[in-house]
Amino acid sequence: MHEMSIAMNIISIACKEAEKDGASSISNIELDVGKLSGVMIDSLKFCYESVCKGTLAENSTLSIKEVPARANCKKCDHTFEIDSFMALCPNCESYEIDILQGRELKLRAVSVN
Amino acid sequence: MCDTCGCGADSTTFRKHGEDHHHHGDGHSHSHDHHDHGHSHDHNHTHDRTIAIEQDILGENNLLAQRNRGYFEAKNVFAINLVSSPGSGKTTLLEKTLATLKEEIPSAVIEGDQQTMNDADRIAKTGVPVLQINTGNGCHLDAEMIHTAYGELKLQDNSALFIENVGNLVCPALFDLGEDKRVVVISVTEGEDKPLKYPTMFDAADICIINKIDLLPYVQFDVEKCKEYALQVNHNLEFFEVSATTGEGMQTWYDWLKEMSKK
Repeated sequence: MHEMSIAMNIISIACKEAEKDGASSISNIELDVGKLSGVMIDSLKFCYESVCKGTLAENSTLSIKEVPARANCKKCDHTFEIDSFMALCPNCESYEIDILQGRELKLRAVSVN
Repeated sequence: MCDTCGCGADSTTFRKHGEDHHHHGDGHSHSHDHHDHGHSHDHNHTHDRTIAIEQDILGENNLLAQRNRGYFEAKNVFAINLVSSPGSGKTTLLEKTLATLKEEIPSAVIEGDQQTMNDADRIAKTGVPVLQINTGNGCHLDAEMIHTAYGELKLQDNSALFIENVGNLVCPALFDLGEDKRVVVISVTEGEDKPLKYPTMFDAADICIINKIDLLPYVQFDVEKCKEYALQVNHNLEFFEVSATTGEGMQTWYDWLKEMSKK
Protein backbone atom coordinates (compact mmCIF):
# COMPACT_ATOMS: atom_id res chain seq x y z
CA MET A 1 0.00 0.00 0.00
CA HIS A 2 2.44 2.65 -1.22
CA GLU A 3 -0.50 5.08 -1.40
CA MET A 4 0.04 5.62 2.34
CA SER A 5 3.56 6.96 1.70
CA ILE A 6 2.25 9.06 -1.16
CA ALA A 7 -0.52 10.51 1.04
CA MET A 8 2.02 11.34 3.75
CA ASN A 9 4.24 13.11 1.23
CA ILE A 10 1.26 15.14 0.00
CA ILE A 11 0.39 16.25 3.53
CA SER A 12 3.98 17.03 4.34
CA ILE A 13 4.49 19.24 1.25
CA ALA A 14 1.08 20.92 1.58
CA CYS A 15 1.44 21.71 5.31
CA LYS A 16 4.94 23.09 4.83
CA GLU A 17 3.74 25.45 2.13
CA ALA A 18 0.61 26.45 4.07
CA GLU A 19 2.67 27.22 7.18
CA LYS A 20 5.07 29.32 5.13
CA ASP A 21 2.07 31.28 3.96
CA GLY A 22 0.76 31.76 7.50
CA ALA A 23 -2.44 29.89 6.72
CA SER A 24 -4.59 28.52 9.53
CA SER A 25 -6.01 25.62 7.58
CA ILE A 26 -6.00 23.86 4.23
CA SER A 27 -9.35 23.45 2.50
CA ASN A 28 -8.35 21.71 -0.73
CA ILE A 29 -5.34 20.12 -2.38
CA GLU A 30 -5.05 19.82 -6.15
CA LEU A 31 -3.15 16.89 -7.59
CA ASP A 32 -2.17 15.66 -11.04
CA VAL A 33 -2.12 11.87 -11.14
CA GLY A 34 -0.97 10.24 -14.37
CA LYS A 35 -2.90 7.30 -15.70
CA LEU A 36 0.29 5.21 -15.59
CA SER A 37 1.61 6.60 -12.29
CA GLY A 38 1.02 3.35 -10.44
CA VAL A 39 -1.23 5.04 -7.88
CA MET A 40 -4.78 3.90 -7.24
CA ILE A 41 -6.85 7.01 -6.77
CA ASP A 42 -9.45 5.39 -4.48
CA SER A 43 -6.76 3.95 -2.28
CA LEU A 44 -4.96 7.31 -2.19
CA LYS A 45 -8.15 9.06 -1.07
CA PHE A 46 -8.66 6.45 1.65
CA CYS A 47 -5.13 6.89 2.98
CA TYR A 48 -5.35 10.64 2.70
CA GLU A 49 -8.37 10.75 4.99
CA SER A 50 -6.53 8.99 7.77
CA VAL A 51 -3.24 10.84 7.32
CA CYS A 52 -4.70 14.36 7.27
CA LYS A 53 -6.18 14.00 10.78
CA GLY A 54 -4.53 16.29 13.31
CA THR A 55 -2.82 18.37 10.62
CA LEU A 56 -3.60 21.70 8.97
CA ALA A 57 -5.24 19.67 6.23
CA GLU A 58 -7.80 17.97 8.46
CA ASN A 59 -11.23 17.97 6.77
CA SER A 60 -9.72 19.17 3.50
CA THR A 61 -10.74 17.79 0.12
CA LEU A 62 -8.58 16.33 -2.63
CA SER A 63 -9.14 17.45 -6.22
CA ILE A 64 -7.48 14.90 -8.44
CA LYS A 65 -6.96 15.51 -12.14
CA GLU A 66 -6.15 12.30 -13.96
CA VAL A 67 -3.53 13.02 -16.59
CA PRO A 68 -4.03 10.95 -19.75
CA ALA A 69 -1.08 8.95 -21.04
CA ARG A 70 0.55 9.64 -24.41
CA ALA A 71 3.26 7.81 -26.29
CA ASN A 72 5.43 8.23 -29.34
CA CYS A 73 6.20 5.34 -31.67
CA LYS A 74 9.93 4.81 -32.23
CA LYS A 75 9.31 3.13 -35.56
CA CYS A 76 6.95 5.56 -37.32
CA ASP A 77 7.09 8.63 -35.04
CA HIS A 78 3.31 8.63 -34.54
CA THR A 79 2.12 10.22 -31.25
CA PHE A 80 -1.06 8.86 -29.69
CA GLU A 81 -3.01 8.41 -26.46
CA ILE A 82 -2.58 5.11 -24.58
CA ASP A 83 -4.41 3.58 -21.65
CA SER A 84 -1.82 1.04 -20.51
CA PHE A 85 1.85 0.16 -20.73
CA MET A 86 1.02 -2.60 -23.22
CA ALA A 87 -0.18 -0.22 -25.88
CA LEU A 88 0.66 -0.72 -29.48
CA CYS A 89 1.05 1.94 -32.14
CA PRO A 90 -2.29 2.32 -33.94
CA ASN A 91 -0.40 3.33 -37.06
CA CYS A 92 2.22 0.57 -37.50
CA GLU A 93 1.35 -1.85 -34.66
CA SER A 94 4.80 -1.63 -33.09
CA TYR A 95 5.30 -2.10 -29.33
CA GLU A 96 8.40 0.06 -29.38
CA ILE A 97 6.87 3.17 -27.96
CA ASP A 98 8.22 5.83 -25.63
CA ILE A 99 5.82 7.07 -22.99
CA LEU A 100 5.71 10.87 -23.10
CA GLN A 101 3.07 11.60 -20.48
CA GLY A 102 1.03 9.72 -17.89
CA ARG A 103 3.57 9.01 -15.11
CA GLU A 104 2.87 12.34 -13.34
CA LEU A 105 2.44 12.50 -9.60
CA LYS A 106 2.32 16.18 -8.86
CA LEU A 107 0.98 18.47 -6.16
CA ARG A 108 -0.30 21.40 -8.17
CA ALA A 109 -1.81 23.79 -5.64
CA VAL A 110 -3.15 24.15 -2.12
CA SER A 111 -6.18 26.22 -1.15
CA VAL A 112 -5.84 27.70 2.32
CA ASN A 113 -7.52 30.17 4.59
CA MET B 1 3.35 1.88 14.08
CA CYS B 2 3.92 5.59 14.30
CA ASP B 3 1.58 7.14 16.87
CA THR B 4 1.52 10.45 15.11
CA CYS B 5 0.48 9.48 11.65
CA GLY B 6 0.14 5.72 11.63
CA CYS B 7 2.77 5.33 8.93
CA GLY B 8 4.87 2.58 10.48
CA ALA B 9 7.87 4.89 10.25
CA ASP B 10 9.31 4.30 13.69
CA SER B 11 9.09 0.55 13.29
CA THR B 12 11.76 0.50 10.58
CA THR B 13 14.86 -1.15 12.02
CA PHE B 14 18.40 -1.58 10.72
CA ARG B 15 20.37 -4.55 11.94
CA LYS B 16 23.66 -6.17 11.04
CA HIS B 17 23.96 -9.92 11.14
CA GLY B 18 24.99 -11.09 14.63
CA GLU B 19 23.92 -7.89 16.37
CA ASP B 20 21.45 -8.36 19.22
CA HIS B 21 20.32 -4.82 19.40
CA HIS B 22 18.63 -2.93 16.68
CA HIS B 23 17.96 0.70 16.13
CA HIS B 24 15.45 2.81 14.38
CA GLY B 25 16.18 4.91 11.38
CA ASP B 26 16.96 8.41 12.48
CA GLY B 27 16.46 10.21 9.25
CA HIS B 28 12.97 9.31 8.18
CA SER B 29 12.14 11.55 5.31
CA HIS B 30 8.83 13.03 6.27
CA SER B 31 8.41 15.40 9.14
CA HIS B 32 5.72 15.53 11.75
CA ASP B 33 6.17 19.21 12.46
CA HIS B 34 2.74 20.02 11.24
CA HIS B 35 1.01 17.79 13.75
CA ASP B 36 1.70 20.22 16.54
CA HIS B 37 0.44 23.24 14.81
CA GLY B 38 -0.38 25.37 17.79
CA HIS B 39 1.01 28.78 16.97
CA SER B 40 -1.21 31.72 16.46
CA HIS B 41 -1.26 34.15 13.61
CA ASP B 42 -1.41 37.82 14.42
CA HIS B 43 -1.83 38.81 10.85
CA ASN B 44 -5.19 38.45 9.30
CA HIS B 45 -5.48 35.82 6.57
CA THR B 46 -9.13 35.14 6.57
CA HIS B 47 -9.69 34.94 2.82
CA ASP B 48 -9.50 31.71 0.95
CA ARG B 49 -6.56 31.69 -1.38
CA THR B 50 -4.73 29.20 -3.53
CA ILE B 51 -0.98 28.67 -3.38
CA ALA B 52 0.60 27.28 -6.55
CA ILE B 53 3.05 24.51 -5.66
CA GLU B 54 3.82 22.43 -8.77
CA GLN B 55 5.97 19.88 -6.92
CA ASP B 56 6.59 16.22 -7.64
CA ILE B 57 4.95 14.31 -4.77
CA LEU B 58 7.86 11.87 -4.73
CA GLY B 59 10.33 14.74 -5.13
CA GLU B 60 11.93 14.25 -1.73
CA ASN B 61 12.59 10.56 -2.33
CA ASN B 62 13.87 11.31 -5.83
CA LEU B 63 16.28 13.92 -4.50
CA LEU B 64 17.60 11.53 -1.85
CA ALA B 65 17.93 8.81 -4.49
CA GLN B 66 20.02 11.18 -6.60
CA ARG B 67 22.17 11.87 -3.56
CA ASN B 68 22.70 8.12 -3.12
CA ARG B 69 23.48 7.81 -6.83
CA GLY B 70 26.14 10.53 -6.53
CA TYR B 71 27.71 8.73 -3.57
CA PHE B 72 27.77 5.43 -5.46
CA GLU B 73 29.27 7.12 -8.48
CA ALA B 74 32.00 8.80 -6.46
CA LYS B 75 32.98 5.49 -4.82
CA ASN B 76 32.46 3.56 -8.06
CA VAL B 77 29.89 1.30 -6.43
CA PHE B 78 27.65 -0.57 -8.85
CA ALA B 79 24.24 -0.67 -7.16
CA ILE B 80 21.48 -3.11 -8.07
CA ASN B 81 17.90 -3.02 -6.80
CA LEU B 82 16.33 -6.50 -6.92
CA VAL B 83 12.54 -6.53 -6.98
CA SER B 84 10.00 -9.34 -7.32
CA SER B 85 7.00 -10.93 -5.69
CA PRO B 86 7.76 -12.99 -2.57
CA GLY B 87 9.22 -16.41 -3.32
CA SER B 88 10.73 -15.80 -6.75
CA GLY B 89 14.18 -16.77 -5.46
CA LYS B 90 15.92 -13.42 -5.00
CA THR B 91 17.80 -14.53 -1.91
CA THR B 92 18.96 -17.82 -3.45
CA LEU B 93 20.05 -15.93 -6.56
CA LEU B 94 22.06 -13.58 -4.34
CA GLU B 95 23.59 -16.40 -2.27
CA LYS B 96 24.84 -18.15 -5.41
CA THR B 97 26.00 -14.93 -7.05
CA LEU B 98 27.96 -13.81 -3.99
CA ALA B 99 29.49 -17.24 -3.38
CA THR B 100 30.78 -17.24 -6.96
CA LEU B 101 31.82 -13.62 -7.41
CA LYS B 102 32.87 -12.33 -3.99
CA GLU B 103 36.59 -12.77 -4.72
CA GLU B 104 36.31 -10.91 -8.00
CA ILE B 105 33.85 -8.21 -7.00
CA PRO B 106 33.88 -6.91 -3.41
CA SER B 107 30.21 -6.79 -2.48
CA ALA B 108 27.76 -5.72 0.20
CA VAL B 109 24.08 -6.49 0.60
CA ILE B 110 21.08 -4.60 1.96
CA GLU B 111 18.14 -6.89 2.72
CA GLY B 112 14.62 -5.53 2.93
CA ASP B 113 11.77 -7.44 4.59
CA GLN B 114 8.89 -6.48 6.82
CA GLN B 115 10.14 -8.78 9.57
CA THR B 116 12.95 -11.22 10.53
CA MET B 117 16.71 -11.47 10.05
CA ASN B 118 16.32 -14.66 8.01
CA ASP B 119 17.62 -13.33 4.72
CA ALA B 120 20.51 -11.43 6.29
CA ASP B 121 21.49 -14.59 8.17
CA ARG B 122 21.54 -16.54 4.89
CA ILE B 123 23.63 -13.88 3.12
CA ALA B 124 26.03 -13.60 6.09
CA LYS B 125 27.01 -17.25 5.54
CA THR B 126 28.62 -16.21 2.22
CA GLY B 127 30.94 -13.92 4.21
CA VAL B 128 29.67 -10.77 2.51
CA PRO B 129 28.76 -7.77 4.72
CA VAL B 130 24.99 -7.50 5.04
CA LEU B 131 22.49 -5.20 6.71
CA GLN B 132 18.86 -6.11 7.29
CA ILE B 133 16.20 -3.44 7.07
CA ASN B 134 12.91 -4.46 8.65
CA THR B 135 10.27 -2.10 7.38
CA GLY B 136 7.63 -3.15 9.94
CA ASN B 137 4.41 -2.28 8.17
CA GLY B 138 6.20 -0.71 5.21
CA CYS B 139 5.77 -2.32 1.81
CA HIS B 140 8.90 -1.00 0.08
CA LEU B 141 12.38 0.40 0.70
CA ASP B 142 12.96 4.09 0.11
CA ALA B 143 16.01 6.22 -0.65
CA GLU B 144 16.37 7.41 2.96
CA MET B 145 16.51 3.85 4.29
CA ILE B 146 19.23 3.01 1.76
CA HIS B 147 21.17 6.11 2.78
CA THR B 148 21.10 5.04 6.45
CA ALA B 149 21.94 1.44 5.53
CA TYR B 150 25.02 2.07 3.40
CA GLY B 151 26.31 4.46 6.06
CA GLU B 152 26.36 1.50 8.45
CA LEU B 153 27.81 -0.91 5.91
CA LYS B 154 30.80 1.31 5.03
CA LEU B 155 30.96 0.43 1.35
CA GLN B 156 34.33 -0.21 -0.27
CA ASP B 157 35.46 1.71 -3.34
CA ASN B 158 35.07 -0.21 -6.61
CA SER B 159 32.51 -2.65 -5.27
CA ALA B 160 28.97 -3.83 -5.88
CA LEU B 161 25.93 -3.21 -3.68
CA PHE B 162 23.00 -5.59 -3.97
CA ILE B 163 19.73 -4.31 -2.53
CA GLU B 164 17.05 -6.97 -2.09
CA ASN B 165 13.80 -5.03 -1.92
CA VAL B 166 10.70 -6.13 0.01
CA GLY B 167 8.97 -8.96 -1.90
CA ASN B 168 6.19 -7.01 -3.54
CA LEU B 169 5.58 -6.51 -7.25
CA VAL B 170 3.62 -3.28 -6.80
CA CYS B 171 4.89 -0.69 -4.34
CA PRO B 172 8.70 -0.72 -4.81
CA ALA B 173 8.16 0.30 -8.46
CA LEU B 174 7.62 3.93 -7.50
CA PHE B 175 10.60 4.41 -5.22
CA ASP B 176 13.96 5.18 -6.79
CA LEU B 177 16.75 4.12 -4.42
CA GLY B 178 19.62 5.57 -6.45
CA GLU B 179 20.53 2.24 -8.02
CA ASP B 180 22.33 1.85 -11.36
CA LYS B 181 20.11 -0.98 -12.50
CA ARG B 182 16.77 -2.29 -11.39
CA VAL B 183 16.38 -6.02 -11.80
CA VAL B 184 12.96 -7.66 -11.70
CA VAL B 185 12.95 -11.40 -10.94
CA ILE B 186 10.13 -13.69 -12.01
CA SER B 187 10.12 -17.44 -11.46
CA VAL B 188 8.58 -20.03 -13.76
CA THR B 189 6.28 -21.19 -10.95
CA GLU B 190 4.45 -17.88 -11.35
CA GLY B 191 2.19 -17.05 -14.30
CA GLU B 192 3.88 -16.03 -17.54
CA ASP B 193 1.46 -13.10 -17.69
CA LYS B 194 2.95 -11.41 -14.59
CA PRO B 195 4.39 -8.60 -16.75
CA LEU B 196 0.87 -7.81 -17.99
CA LYS B 197 -0.64 -7.99 -14.51
CA TYR B 198 2.04 -5.83 -12.86
CA PRO B 199 3.20 -3.59 -15.69
CA THR B 200 4.40 -0.68 -13.54
CA MET B 201 7.17 -2.82 -12.08
CA PHE B 202 8.28 -4.18 -15.45
CA ASP B 203 8.15 -0.69 -16.91
CA ALA B 204 10.47 0.56 -14.17
CA ALA B 205 13.03 -2.26 -14.55
CA ASP B 206 16.15 -2.50 -16.73
CA ILE B 207 16.73 -6.23 -16.45
CA CYS B 208 14.38 -9.21 -16.12
CA ILE B 209 15.65 -12.46 -14.67
CA ILE B 210 13.52 -15.53 -15.29
CA ASN B 211 14.45 -17.86 -12.43
CA LYS B 212 13.88 -21.55 -11.59
CA ILE B 213 14.14 -22.65 -15.25
CA ASP B 214 15.10 -26.14 -13.98
CA LEU B 215 11.40 -26.52 -13.12
CA LEU B 216 10.18 -25.82 -16.66
CA PRO B 217 9.44 -29.50 -17.42
CA TYR B 218 6.99 -29.61 -14.48
CA VAL B 219 5.10 -26.35 -14.92
CA GLN B 220 3.08 -24.67 -17.62
CA PHE B 221 5.20 -21.61 -18.25
CA ASP B 222 5.98 -20.37 -21.73
CA VAL B 223 9.29 -18.48 -21.46
CA GLU B 224 9.01 -16.89 -24.90
CA LYS B 225 5.50 -15.70 -24.18
CA CYS B 226 6.59 -14.21 -20.85
CA LYS B 227 9.41 -12.33 -22.59
CA GLU B 228 7.04 -11.14 -25.27
CA TYR B 229 4.62 -9.81 -22.63
CA ALA B 230 7.45 -8.12 -20.75
CA LEU B 231 8.71 -6.49 -23.95
CA GLN B 232 5.23 -5.22 -24.70
CA VAL B 233 5.40 -3.34 -21.41
CA ASN B 234 9.04 -2.26 -21.73
CA HIS B 235 10.85 -2.85 -25.01
CA ASN B 236 14.21 -1.94 -23.44
CA LEU B 237 14.28 -4.91 -21.02
CA GLU B 238 17.21 -7.34 -21.17
CA PHE B 239 16.65 -10.94 -20.06
CA PHE B 240 18.55 -13.65 -18.23
CA GLU B 241 17.09 -17.15 -17.97
CA VAL B 242 18.60 -18.89 -14.97
CA SER B 243 18.25 -21.51 -12.30
CA ALA B 244 19.96 -20.21 -9.18
CA THR B 245 19.59 -23.70 -7.68
CA THR B 246 21.25 -25.76 -10.45
CA GLY B 247 23.46 -22.96 -11.81
CA GLU B 248 22.02 -23.21 -15.31
CA GLY B 249 22.31 -19.91 -17.19
CA MET B 250 24.06 -18.22 -14.25
CA GLN B 251 27.35 -17.68 -16.11
CA THR B 252 25.78 -15.08 -18.44
CA TRP B 253 24.43 -13.24 -15.41
CA TYR B 254 27.88 -13.32 -13.75
CA ASP B 255 29.53 -12.09 -16.96
CA TRP B 256 27.09 -9.20 -17.14
CA LEU B 257 27.71 -8.28 -13.48
CA LYS B 258 31.48 -8.36 -14.00
CA GLU B 259 31.17 -6.18 -17.08
CA MET B 260 28.89 -3.68 -15.34
CA SER B 261 30.93 -3.39 -12.15
CA LYS B 262 34.07 -2.60 -14.20
CA LYS B 263 32.49 0.58 -15.55
